[in-house]
Amino acid sequence: MLELDPIFDAISEWLASFLPPVVVTIVKGFGTAGVVLGVLSLFVLFFIWMERKVSAHMQQRLGPMRTGWHGALQTVADAVKLIQKEDLVPSDADRAVYFWAPVVCFAAALMAYLVIPFGEGLIVQDLNIGILYVIAITTFTVVSLLMAGWGSNNKWALLGGMRSAAQIVSYEVPLSMSLIGTIMIAESLSMITIVESQSGPFWNWFVFRQPIGFIVYFIAATAEANRTPFDIPEAEQELVAGFNVEYSGMKFAMFFLAEFINMFTISALAVTLFFGGWMAPFPFLDFIPSWIWFLAKAFTSVFVLMWFRWTYPRIRVDQLMGFAWKFLLPLAFLNIILTGIGIYIF
Amino acid sequence: MNLVKQTIDGIYNLLLGLGVTVKHLFKKAITVQYPKERWEMPERSRGVIVLLSDKETGKLNCTACMLCARACPVAAIKIEREKNPETKKFEPTSFDIDTTVCCYCGLCEQACNFSAIKLTGKYEFSVYDKDRLQYDMDFLQEIGRDVKYEKKKKVAKKAVKKAAQKKKEDKAGEEEKSQEKSATKPSAKADAAAEDEKPADSEQKEESKTEDKTGDDKNEPDSSEESESKKE
Amino acid sequence: MMETKGLRTEEFMVNMGPQHPSTHGVCKLVLKMDGELVKEIQPHVGYLHRSIEKIAENRTYAQIVPFTDRIDYCASMNSNHAYVEAVERMAEVEVPERAQYLRVIMAELNRIASHLLWLATFTIDLGAVTPFLYAFREREEIMDMFEMTCGQRLTYNYMKIGGVNWDIPKEFVPKAKQFLKILPGKVDEYEDLLTNNPILLYRTKGIGVLSSEKAIEYSASGPSIRASGVRWDIRKAEPYAVYDKFDFNIPVRYNGDVWDRYKIRLDEMRESAKIVEQAIDGLPEGDIAKKVPMTWKPKEGEVFCRIEAPRGEMAYHIISDGTNKPYRVKIRTGSFCNLQLLPAIATNHLIADLVAIFGSLDIVLPEVDR
Repeated sequence: MLELDPIFDAISEWLASFLPPVVVTIVKGFGTAGVVLGVLSLFVLFFIWMERKVSAHMQQRLGPMRTGWHGALQTVADAVKLIQKEDLVPSDADRAVYFWAPVVCFAAALMAYLVIPFGEGLIVQDLNIGILYVIAITTFTVVSLLMAGWGSNNKWALLGGMRSAAQIVSYEVPLSMSLIGTIMIAESLSMITIVESQSGPFWNWFVFRQPIGFIVYFIAATAEANRTPFDIPEAEQELVAGFNVEYSGMKFAMFFLAEFINMFTISALAVTLFFGGWMAPFPFLDFIPSWIWFLAKAFTSVFVLMWFRWTYPRIRVDQLMGFAWKFLLPLAFLNIILTGIGIYIF
Repeated sequence: MNLVKQTIDGIYNLLLGLGVTVKHLFKKAITVQYPKERWEMPERSRGVIVLLSDKETGKLNCTACMLCARACPVAAIKIEREKNPETKKFEPTSFDIDTTVCCYCGLCEQACNFSAIKLTGKYEFSVYDKDRLQYDMDFLQEIGRDVKYEKKKKVAKKAVKKAAQKKKEDKAGEEEKSQEKSATKPSAKADAAAEDEKPADSEQKEESKTEDKTGDDKNEPDSSEESESKKE
Repeated sequence: MMETKGLRTEEFMVNMGPQHPSTHGVCKLVLKMDGELVKEIQPHVGYLHRSIEKIAENRTYAQIVPFTDRIDYCASMNSNHAYVEAVERMAEVEVPERAQYLRVIMAELNRIASHLLWLATFTIDLGAVTPFLYAFREREEIMDMFEMTCGQRLTYNYMKIGGVNWDIPKEFVPKAKQFLKILPGKVDEYEDLLTNNPILLYRTKGIGVLSSEKAIEYSASGPSIRASGVRWDIRKAEPYAVYDKFDFNIPVRYNGDVWDRYKIRLDEMRESAKIVEQAIDGLPEGDIAKKVPMTWKPKEGEVFCRIEAPRGEMAYHIISDGTNKPYRVKIRTGSFCNLQLLPAIATNHLIADLVAIFGSLDIVLPEVDR
């Protein structure tokens, strides 16, 4: 009833009525990119506010209260401030690398949304290798962090960049392995197919068939998004601010926004792959639009990530590697084996 | 087996931590939204220093006895004084407090016998210009107008004075045994008396003169003050 | 720890501080690093030097007290206590018993506040931000009590030679009792949040081990030495004030690692709460101070007096030449001696461990530099 999918169809039909097909494709492409960017920006604004509020209330504070209702416009105010800031470049920085690092980071974070279904039919492009694409794209983040660390020509930043490289290389493996179980059951790499194969009541969701896979995925994804307890590339108590220590103004803001977009990416992926995507937990709740279900689930997941962040200390860098290789990876392999046996039996 | 136990233990403790934080999520905030809500400062709060003035006459209580300036560990108080020809009492002509060096220790308030200087619960005295942190007499009096205080009673003061005097006598006796200096016993007594009540009674002109003479061996922190009194 | 054969990388120097989130003030650590591994640590101190010892030579005995507030601003009551205790011992001033009790109450409350502050900053060093606010919440209660008593929240100037400056107000006792009632529960809450958290255990167990021999060699003191299995607490070893009247334990742990230093402070908070409770119950009536005149002069003499501050021994060596100003004041602080331990126990650790070890030693830089 309130599905958004028909609206987009109507717009593209209307465009096709008076424009040549090539132009329609181009307009549609830019249009969807714009819509995704706009929606994500809104989400990120909300997440930053939410992070502040969640952390504040967990610490018995109130958080921002002055700008707008309960400080709702605080992020906007911050963005305005950051735009006004002088764009400092360290004198010995590798200028090109320094400049492109935040751009790569932000772009990589956005590109993942090509294949994430926000609702029934609300997907930019349903690639048949959707999961593979996401895994490949999110790895780009590490390149940008390494670029930032190297380009700043700062020892702390370099340490942060190296840490992030080591961390993401380690966690990429269990992350990919943890998804294989899901792919085996769904027999597809396409996001839409995976979601559709979880249809029905909520016990059909893959989280109940793949609990180990989900745990491994969630831990590895937290590490991949550089969230506490795995935020060692930033680690402000150790490395001051890690890779972004020399960044200021809008460049810093881009790293910051990318972090929150990544957080939403891993939440959205978790929902798509393990929590039935846009599906309602019970079929009779289908009257609520699918995109609301999707967002509700994703936001809950984001909240859990924030909850982790404001509860746990940071793990040490070598322990983090050890944890990934010695614990998560074997667990992911075990999951694959168990899934294989399960599929063979049933 | 050990690993399994460790893992379960670890997960339990991780969840315990999550429980603590989520419990606090729904508790009431303990912070104060500062400019809107304000604390009531405790009565003894030691904030901005003010000079107190008499409620009826509106005149300063200060008798320019210099005790506060002498007590101040950072020499933040500078007083200039003049003798009023009518009442023959000292009156401060200028009373400056350098709040940039003031450490709000409250020793001046403790030293004062006339309820003239007080550390109050007032705060929020930030300024853009550092020079404006040098408070002069008028300003100090102005911000002290609405401060409630109880004037130290004369009787109590005298009792304290007597007690102090007695102790000082004892001390003076001890000191003389250890190091015999030029000052004789009665003059030492007069010193002590002069220091405590000199400005209170105008009749003690002579005693205040003796103070000037013996001022050197008393090691006062503020030498400028001596030259002041010598001028008179 | 992490030896690589054949593959050699260049070592590099890093200035950790003076502006760094984890140096707890303005301390500069010059690190020689091999990747993440810290090969050499050189603490550079002196950024906060205010020459309090020299200033003290030009102030009367009473005027020095506000300066002692600023030596260890996290535990000003203890600094006050050490100084007045030293002067009183030198000049043989008798102190009314009520004043002694008040001093103990305030010093122990300040110890709790100081340990809470330590807990807050230590957990931040480990990356957990939330316990910081929880610890500050409780510390705030203590600050309120101090403020209602002496008017300040950090630099109290509460004690004076011969007693204390202010008697406790009426509201103090009920508030203190209320606080002591909730404190153990709150400490349990920190323990739930942290103590057995596997991440914290990984970060602290077996890290920065300080053996008891080394601790004695480096004249460590305070919780740092007690975590290494040395039962050394001035409150028991050389009781001062009225500490011999109270029943309390000295928590001792034997591994000497960061976790032990963490745990021992939590235990000490509980013990301090016990002392405060006993002191409030046994608070005698009477004068709060012996009247000491402004131009008071002690006899010629010399004293060395030490007390147990939250960060270790704090000692004053005062020499009097019979005038109203001391001839020399030497201050020995726990942080200064404990900071020497850092290169000894933190080399060949990762930089993350260095931060944890530095935090666990509980160093307050103004106390190091004076």
